[in-house]
Amino acid sequence: MANVYFELTEAFNAEEPTVALASGQAAVFYRVAIMSKDGDWVVRESPEGCARVLAVLASHGARYRLSSPLDVRWLSGGWSSHFEFFDERRRRVRCDFVSRPPRVPTASIDALFNRHAPPALITVDVESLIWMKHTQRAKDYPIIGPLAALLPPEREVLLTTDPDRVLALAVTHGARATRPAVRAALSGDRRAVVLALAGEADDYQQRDRRRVEHYETAAARYLEVCRAMHVVDLPIHEAHARMCEAAEQYLPTRVTGISDADAE
Amino acid sequence: MQMLSEDDLNLREMTREELDAAWDLWFDLAQSTNDADPLYEHGVFAQTIVSAVQRVARAIPDAPQIAPRR
Repeated sequence: MANVYFELTEAFNAEEPTVALASGQAAVFYRVAIMSKDGDWVVRESPEGCARVLAVLASHGARYRLSSPLDVRWLSGGWSSHFEFFDERRRRVRCDFVSRPPRVPTASIDALFNRHAPPALITVDVESLIWMKHTQRAKDYPIIGPLAALLPPEREVLLTTDPDRVLALAVTHGARATRPAVRAALSGDRRAVVLALAGEADDYQQRDRRRVEHYETAAARYLEVCRAMHVVDLPIHEAHARMCEAAEQYLPTRVTGISDADAE
Repeated sequence: MQMLSEDDLNLREMTREELDAAWDLWFDLAQSTNDADPLYEHGVFAQTIVSAVQRVARAIPDAPQIAPRR
């Protein structure tokens, strides 16, 4: 039995490059994890890409979850769209989409879809995946170490969350690094490396928490309207139309207080 | 405590079919926690939805309280 999220990726991309597998399922793809229950994708920011995703999801009987409409107007402002369906074995399949994952440069996203002869199972590149994992959740940080180990050592030393790898790589590949953990490793202070990595992770968590809070404030009225319309109970295309109407009135396409780095 | 052998953990040497089968088995088992899963794992609504549920819960004194997910 194939991974349903890998199969969905191939279905979304059957006509043209439309999505790239991300987050936990990308970690499964790179063989650094097995326990990822939901599907997350970066969707190409185009009306055609959104239409293709909605069509495939409709064929599975998917419904919207409370979220932004899958429409370039809101996706381009960093909003996310969420869906759910049950497969033929009555297993819950959750599908989440963004077009501008936080902290990932736009050029890296463009490169995913503009490659010559891309595979159907397009997957976010390892370094972008690492930046996507710098979330508010502490549980996202341990996986960064195994992912960084897939990178060249000069990049691994700058991104890994594993103090042993920072200590091992600092002398050979970290001489010019400004990362505090690497500077501590160059001085041979293991305790300082550990503390620097912990502080760095907390900084990223706090920054992501502040980012999400801006969206929380901006979405409040829109979500109330969507709840009142019971959009989660409607067929996906009907829900989409109603959510777009509500979003045009109540959901700003751009959220104030989001830095360029976070919006990209 | 390590729960799996080194062989079991060696995902990189699995064939695509073996990896798919391992994930599929795990996905079957993981259905048992559906009701306990966070409402949203990713995206910008994760905290929003939890906050909304908390507001409702605060308005109903006997309603179960939900701790913010960190």
